Amino acid sequence: MNPEQIVDQAVEYGQKLGAREVAAAVTREKRKMLKFANNSVTVVQSWDQTVPTVYLLSDRKRAGARVENPSIDALKEVMKTLKAAMDITKPGEVESTLPKGPFKYDPVPQIFDARIPKMTDELVDLAEQAMKAASAEGARRSSGVLVTSEWERYVKTSAGAEGEDKGTDINLSIRAFVDDDSSGQGNSCATRLEDFNPKLAGAEAGKIANQAKNPVFGDEGKYRVLFGPSIMAEFLDRVADFATAYSVDLGLSFFSDKIGQKVASEKLTLVDDRRMPGGINSCSLDEEGYPTQRTTIIDRGTLKTYLHSSYSVAKYGGALTGSAFYAGGTWGIAPVALNIVVEPGEYSQEKLFEQVGDGLYLTNNWYTRFQNYQTGDFSSICRDGAFEIKNGKIARSVKGLRISDNMPRIMQSITALSKERKWIRWWEVPIPVYLPHMIVEDVGITRATK
Amino acid sequence: MEDLIQRAVEAASAKGVQYAEARLHIDSGSGVTLTNGKPEPVQLAKAKGIAVRVLVDGVLGFACTNDLSRESLDETVEIAYRTAKASKRLVTNPVRLSKEKAEQANWETKARKPLLDVTIEEKLAVLEEIEKNLSLSVVKVDLPSRTLVLMDDITDRYFADTEGSKIHGVASRIGLLFVFTASEPGKGIIQRIGQKGETGGWERLEEWDLPKYVAEEAKSLGKILREAKQAPRGELDLVLGSEVTGIACHESCGHPQEADRILGREAAQAGESYLKPDMIGHRIGTEAVTVVDDPTVPNSYGFYEYDEEGVRAGRRTLIKNGVIAGFLQNRETAAELGVSSNGAARAVSYDREPIIRMANTFMLPGDYSDDELVEDVKKGVYINTFMEWNIDDRRYNQRYVGLEAYLIENGRITSGVRNPILEITTPGFYGSVDAVGKRVEYEAATCGKGEPEQGAPVWHGGPPIRLRKVRLGG
Repeated sequence: MNPEQIVDQAVEYGQKLGAREVAAAVTREKRKMLKFANNSVTVVQSWDQTVPTVYLLSDRKRAGARVENPSIDALKEVMKTLKAAMDITKPGEVESTLPKGPFKYDPVPQIFDARIPKMTDELVDLAEQAMKAASAEGARRSSGVLVTSEWERYVKTSAGAEGEDKGTDINLSIRAFVDDDSSGQGNSCATRLEDFNPKLAGAEAGKIANQAKNPVFGDEGKYRVLFGPSIMAEFLDRVADFATAYSVDLGLSFFSDKIGQKVASEKLTLVDDRRMPGGINSCSLDEEGYPTQRTTIIDRGTLKTYLHSSYSVAKYGGALTGSAFYAGGTWGIAPVALNIVVEPGEYSQEKLFEQVGDGLYLTNNWYTRFQNYQTGDFSSICRDGAFEIKNGKIARSVKGLRISDNMPRIMQSITALSKERKWIRWWEVPIPVYLPHMIVEDVGITRATK
Repeated sequence: MEDLIQRAVEAASAKGVQYAEARLHIDSGSGVTLTNGKPEPVQLAKAKGIAVRVLVDGVLGFACTNDLSRESLDETVEIAYRTAKASKRLVTNPVRLSKEKAEQANWETKARKPLLDVTIEEKLAVLEEIEKNLSLSVVKVDLPSRTLVLMDDITDRYFADTEGSKIHGVASRIGLLFVFTASEPGKGIIQRIGQKGETGGWERLEEWDLPKYVAEEAKSLGKILREAKQAPRGELDLVLGSEVTGIACHESCGHPQEADRILGREAAQAGESYLKPDMIGHRIGTEAVTVVDDPTVPNSYGFYEYDEEGVRAGRRTLIKNGVIAGFLQNRETAAELGVSSNGAARAVSYDREPIIRMANTFMLPGDYSDDELVEDVKKGVYINTFMEWNIDDRRYNQRYVGLEAYLIENGRITSGVRNPILEITTPGFYGSVDAVGKRVEYEAATCGKGEPEQGAPVWHGGPPIRLRKVRLGG
């Protein structure tokens, strides 16, 4: 059975079971991943999966399922169980309804490249180009992944929405090492081959690793920090997630009751742009069948909206943002950020170093954890090249540093952004972010001393 | 089902591979949630799919599908073979697999009351019972945001390989996750995320006495808000509760002793290790410290009898009396290091490759009672639970920020303290342990590793322990 038939039958069957509303989606994805370590391929992985999801609503009751089985009989069996569960469940907090269609979906340009799904042998060439570029900059070994994806999505709801979408992407993440303590990361991701540059990613990783040679332990204190795109992308992935009504509802966000308030520096404008031509996760409709849009989350420092699904609009007010996807979690269909974009600044990267004067340049991080999601107290570990800046120039490589600070304070303390931006997506940044370098004042830095 | 995977193994074998395995997973799970007393959507998850992994010319090829038709299965085998073969020229260190005994086995976690016999109604009733016990009059603190999630899953797995192994295993797991925000006028807010989880049937949950357990957690938040003062800084003695001992054993012992990290295979994702292959025998802690990882602890969240490469699981000692005693191995790392696999290869679903994972990682108990651990501490801090933690990607520089914590003064636990911060190196941590308690407890958690990410169910735990002369700060 093809995906259109599955969504057709799922909606029809859900109504037959007595659900007031039904949303059904089928995502078909073919992916390949070439993984390498120490300049050698370790595993090549391939996926071919068809995944239906359903979401049922009736009388302030909701239920959902993800069924990794393309058989309509399996899906119907699960829907029967879902409906029975709804029948014995007490009503939830608010009544919500699916967006009323039909809608017109304008395809997003430049998000499909028919050449990408056909690549197999070429993946080896591209990975090799990245590793060679890293070696040319002085790296002794490199590790990473090269991933291609081709996806199609079909959505149909009982509220009259029906549409389909498809896209491709190619993503390389490479980490180069000069020695155990000296590493750098590079990244290239695109929806079309002409925008993909593995050599540049490899060279970037190798260059940072080489600059990071012979690090000394850095000192604790408060610093003016120039954040590279990778590290700020990891922070903004979390900030955008905190801006979903779902996180607010769980009490896991410092944006509760902050709509209309200044939550960041005026330098920061943060957008979830699902309409961006060539955007890594751009798409034309969400899984409630609502057309996607460009949603400004933070406009020159002011929180404008949460990202919404139909349920969160019913609960919190506001307007739909085309952000509803079956993302797991406790809501089933919930608002998620997909394509995070930061508006550029006015400085060249060189000028940003001058702006720092004395401070730190941090290129990457991992393992951000919060002590309190509502206050935003957190820490995160610096990873790969970290540098002291003196008089606007890199003075020496440092190691062992941890950012120990408060996320709302960091957002409020952004003072400068670069003109140039790049896409970041890697293991620690699952939602792609298109962003510049940024300077943040008075960042708390700590480290282990025993 | 055995026919399907046997067919895949034979199809791969016919292509002349060095090795092939096939896994069929049939997974089924449910989740029920109450947020602030109101039900959230009932969630069901089902997955049925097959994975084929082959070794061709020193490259591992992995392919999976959830289309179980004969044509799709043949195509999956072909893709695994073809993609591995195509990558040969970029191999400088060919993958080999250690020689292991072929196993034929059938195992299942025991359940007096199978999870399939439990209705959604019964599951919701448990959450409602917990919720009743969270009222202000019971827990004495306002919980403006509280989420309770009851989740269960059953995974039914078939494995076969070209070396003659045929294994069928079934594991059922049940768990509770809670997320609380507590507030007290003029004292701010604090948060707690907690989890319980075991393998087995519904009877496991019945033994937890959840209404009492969760209410005690909530009460403790009120106490912290009302009574805890600023934590001291500087050098002092520290007593850590089981929860903190456990997270440290997981992060700074279990992870750095995963052999795939040591060999650099996860370098671009979860990172590497401060340890090198020749550091077996290296002293990292005091005589008091022995840490093990054991998938065979009955009812544990990380329980399994055979790993996803068909190797029988058993206890592995990671640190013995302060000395690095062994690493977690799969067949790939074991071959490279010239040892045998110790059954640490796990895959959380059909669409994930088996990689080295912990199961249940814990410090073995000593002979100190709780009172004895504090009685000769003149000035110190007792950290019972934590919220924020992290560690660098070589597993050397770690941080734990206490949630429920108290001052220790002249051998007695006295007033509460807020957010004490321990930031310490791995040898600094294990080298400071001078006393280990008798009372072992475990926490359930979901450990993330691999690309694509795999969240594996684990336990970590141990007894309360005492560290001498460490720096609290931050």
